[in-house]
Amino acid sequence: MDIALLDLLLRWAHFAGALVWIGHNYATAVTRPRYVPLVAADLADPNGPRQRDLLQREHGTFRYASLLTLGTGLAMLGLRGALPGALGLQGGLAPIGIGLWLGVIMVCNLWFVLWPHQKRVLGFVPAPIEERLRCSRITFLSARVNTMLSIPLLFFMAAGSHGGALLP
Amino acid sequence: MNTPPWRHPLDSALLTVLLGVALTALLVALLRLLGAA
Repeated sequence: MDIALLDLLLRWAHFAGALVWIGHNYATAVTRPRYVPLVAADLADPNGPRQRDLLQREHGTFRYASLLTLGTGLAMLGLRGALPGALGLQGGLAPIGIGLWLGVIMVCNLWFVLWPHQKRVLGFVPAPIEERLRCSRITFLSARVNTMLSIPLLFFMAAGSHGGALLP
Repeated sequence: MNTPPWRHPLDSALLTVLLGVALTALLVALLRLLGAA
């Protein structure tokens, strides 16, 4: 396959994956702008309305979309031979490199902080109710950290390809 | 854990966005300060 065509397809998949992932995150921030604490009664009954609401949310697609987004981003940099320079924040690759590192932090936050705690909240991993309530707070803050980090990430992603203004 | 809504800045979607913008400005300033761009 032509390298330019492959790059275009990767970029398309990168945007689509990012929209699914971060769109999910932003939708949550818009529909639930304030933190509403779970209480023991919400989790005591597995068929209770709050518990059902939690289970009916989407929990899988956006996590895999995050891997697609990171993978395609790394692949695009790799195709250009720009991966080491971006990782090392070298010269003109520094803006996209900062975006890359923010993306790595966000994917790690999602997979290694949010998801393990979410599994306890939902009861996929058995835990006492007090522990599940504590985990629900962590999942909320973890998601909000990713909302916050997505803002500079988008800036530096844009600056990576259109970043003339950042260069001296 | 009954955390009140005002307890943490990230509890507010608006403050989350403002923190994101502030972080962007900080990173741009660092980038320019370090002379990488």
